[in-house]
Amino acid sequence: MSASKYTDNSAVKRFKAAPARPPLKQNRGVFHILRQRCFNNIGNSVLTLLILLGGFYLIKGMLDWAVINAVFVADSRRQCMEISPDGACWAGIISWFNGLIYGRYPIEEQWRVNAGFMIAVAWLLPLMSKGLPLRNFVLLSWIGLFPFLGGYLFLGGQFGQELGLLHGLMTSLALAYFVLNYLNWGLHKLGKQGLHEVFVPVLSQWIQRRVHLTSLLLVWGALAIAIAFGLTQVSLPSVAIERWGGLFLTFIIAGFAITMAIPVGVVLALGRRSKLPVIHWLCLVTIELVRSVPLITVLFMAVTLLPIFLPADVEFNKLAQVLVAVCIFAGAYMAENIRGGLQAIPAGQYEAAKTLGFGYWHTMLLVILPQALRMMIPNIMTSFISLLKDTTLVSIIGLFDIMLMARNIANDKDWIGLHTEPLVMISILFFVICYGMSQYSLNLEKRLKVDR
Amino acid sequence: MLKLSTSILLASSVLSAQTFAAETTSTLTQVKERGYVNCVIGNSFPGFYSLNKEGEWQGMDIDMCRGVAAAVFGDAQSVKFLPVQWAQSFTSIKSGKGDMLSKGMTWTLSRDAEQGLDFLDTYFYDGQGFMVRKDLGVTSVKELEGATICVLTGTSSELNIADYSRAHNLDLKTVVFDDSSVRNTAFFNNNCDALTNDKSGLAAQRSAAPNPADYVILPETISKEALSFAVKQNDSEWANVVKWTFAAMVAAEEFGITSENVDEMKANSQSPVVRRLLGVEGSLNKGLGLPQDWAYQVIKNVGNYGEVYERNVGPNSVLGLEREGTLNALWKDGGMMYAKSFR
Repeated sequence: MSASKYTDNSAVKRFKAAPARPPLKQNRGVFHILRQRCFNNIGNSVLTLLILLGGFYLIKGMLDWAVINAVFVADSRRQCMEISPDGACWAGIISWFNGLIYGRYPIEEQWRVNAGFMIAVAWLLPLMSKGLPLRNFVLLSWIGLFPFLGGYLFLGGQFGQELGLLHGLMTSLALAYFVLNYLNWGLHKLGKQGLHEVFVPVLSQWIQRRVHLTSLLLVWGALAIAIAFGLTQVSLPSVAIERWGGLFLTFIIAGFAITMAIPVGVVLALGRRSKLPVIHWLCLVTIELVRSVPLITVLFMAVTLLPIFLPADVEFNKLAQVLVAVCIFAGAYMAENIRGGLQAIPAGQYEAAKTLGFGYWHTMLLVILPQALRMMIPNIMTSFISLLKDTTLVSIIGLFDIMLMARNIANDKDWIGLHTEPLVMISILFFVICYGMSQYSLNLEKRLKVDR
Repeated sequence: MLKLSTSILLASSVLSAQTFAAETTSTLTQVKERGYVNCVIGNSFPGFYSLNKEGEWQGMDIDMCRGVAAAVFGDAQSVKFLPVQWAQSFTSIKSGKGDMLSKGMTWTLSRDAEQGLDFLDTYFYDGQGFMVRKDLGVTSVKELEGATICVLTGTSSELNIADYSRAHNLDLKTVVFDDSSVRNTAFFNNNCDALTNDKSGLAAQRSAAPNPADYVILPETISKEALSFAVKQNDSEWANVVKWTFAAMVAAEEFGITSENVDEMKANSQSPVVRRLLGVEGSLNKGLGLPQDWAYQVIKNVGNYGEVYERNVGPNSVLGLEREGTLNALWKDGGMMYAKSFR
């Protein structure tokens, strides 16, 4: 028996790979792509050319108006027109720039607005460090404490007089927290574990129980008292709320609404899903009622009808009215977003939480809500963006937000009739801000791996 | 009998005091307690009330309110301006939110009689007119037959056009806008043949035209627009303050007192009426419940009527409105500005 029977290859039909096809030519240059996609037949070629032509004229027209023929330096609109009759008159915007940003805030006090916003941003910077001890408190304190500090900076007033005792106290606590916040971050950066590593050994000799928190609270309190004393020595000139305006006011309203929307929304959404009938119906009616009425009508009613019902000497702060209205509004919309997220959580998650022995609140806070909120990030951000844009509605009830300031340019005697440029400028500004927000949300989604 | 009626009166006044606690104290008392005047204006109306880029209000209505503040407090800055929409003008006064309304509002019967307001004095006589492009070759409103007119909706201008068009059989077609800037742009882009507004407004809009010389304001005035201030109905004490503040401004012009020479006049003038007006002698302030030098403060801080006119709407302002020969001239010059006697 020879082995040839088995080794004779000719007898066995062997698998033979077909010759490889040439690779798809993908990067064959711009010309190839253009020819294939834009000029592959006569109809498409014509269409392409038309679109190009249209785009060219559109862009050229815009550039001509906004840049090439535009006037950047002039004293009045008349002068703008004399220099270049068919270009934009950006000189008016430049001249009114402060007004657009700060509204009617007194010029010599505008640094306070800048300082307030810088502190607001600086407050959150420590969040960049992942393993920071007490990291959760950074955001919580920002929501709970910063508004008092901001309010103090923006309103001004002597501590203990125009500035109420509670407000003054909270301001001191906020400033103290801000300092500790940075101390904590700095220590973390230096490789120490954090604040309590420094304070605890010193203080724990006196305090036996709950050492960490108590010692920190003590330091915080002591610092706040020192700051409160310091604050009594300085006095910021007070600036009435009527003088707030411009982008500054827009940010205040939008910022307030955005930070309050999630807590209010969570409460309403959970309430609507509650099995307790009173809570269920209360939340349901609130959500449906608020969602079915346009914001503009609510704002109007708040300022035109309330004064008739209320006695004359009750003076309502227009801004406070607006903040409450916008907050409830944002909350109602947010509630439905969050409810959507809650419904998308599989029942297994609830059951798993129950198996672990979690009660309602633990289930919600530790298992369900983190997932629901993360899932709804795109929707939540959409709500925020539309909220920011909705704030321009407050101009119709006479709050001098950026929109109303812009409309006033057209009635200023130097810039009379200048109303297109301010609107263009606001559009650009809003685009930048909203696009920034949407990019941030994409970034957040990626980081939290929503689509895993 | 007397006793009974007195007690009824007392009882009813106590009752009303309880139900309308806020309304029984006069506005003047409230203003003095508060420390500033609440002045209701509108969002913007060049020459009458508008913001400058520093965020300060300026204009004729603004100066009127500053005058009242100066009369009460001797300080033209003791005033808070409340810009409100047209729809809220009346409620803001009725509810007591505003002490006086000075927003270029036309004195009409229905507003006077139905809205719970008392109109006091007219500080600017205006009337509705039309502006057209010069190359249209139109010289009279009568020639505008079938023309399209740009008009702000919800204003008396809109109603006046309808009346005028019907009365003269002109078939005017209105194109309505609710934003004056948009309306003006539409007119300057030739989307309508004529623009209608109060003539003071037309002057402002013309000055905003790409080339003002291309536009003419037609001679006809089709309505009476007496821009007047108003206060809450049935508060004579406060009404007197506002009314006489304005009278002091007009009288000052008549007597040749300006913000610049007022100190000198106060020190040197021998004219009894000037001395009475400036509080050097007499006690004209007593009845008004104002300080001795109230009129002096008005003139010192704000100026006389002529100065206010020149500064805000006069020939050198953006509106460029001539005063001579109009109703806004002093009565001596054939106008309607006539201050009652300071005695």
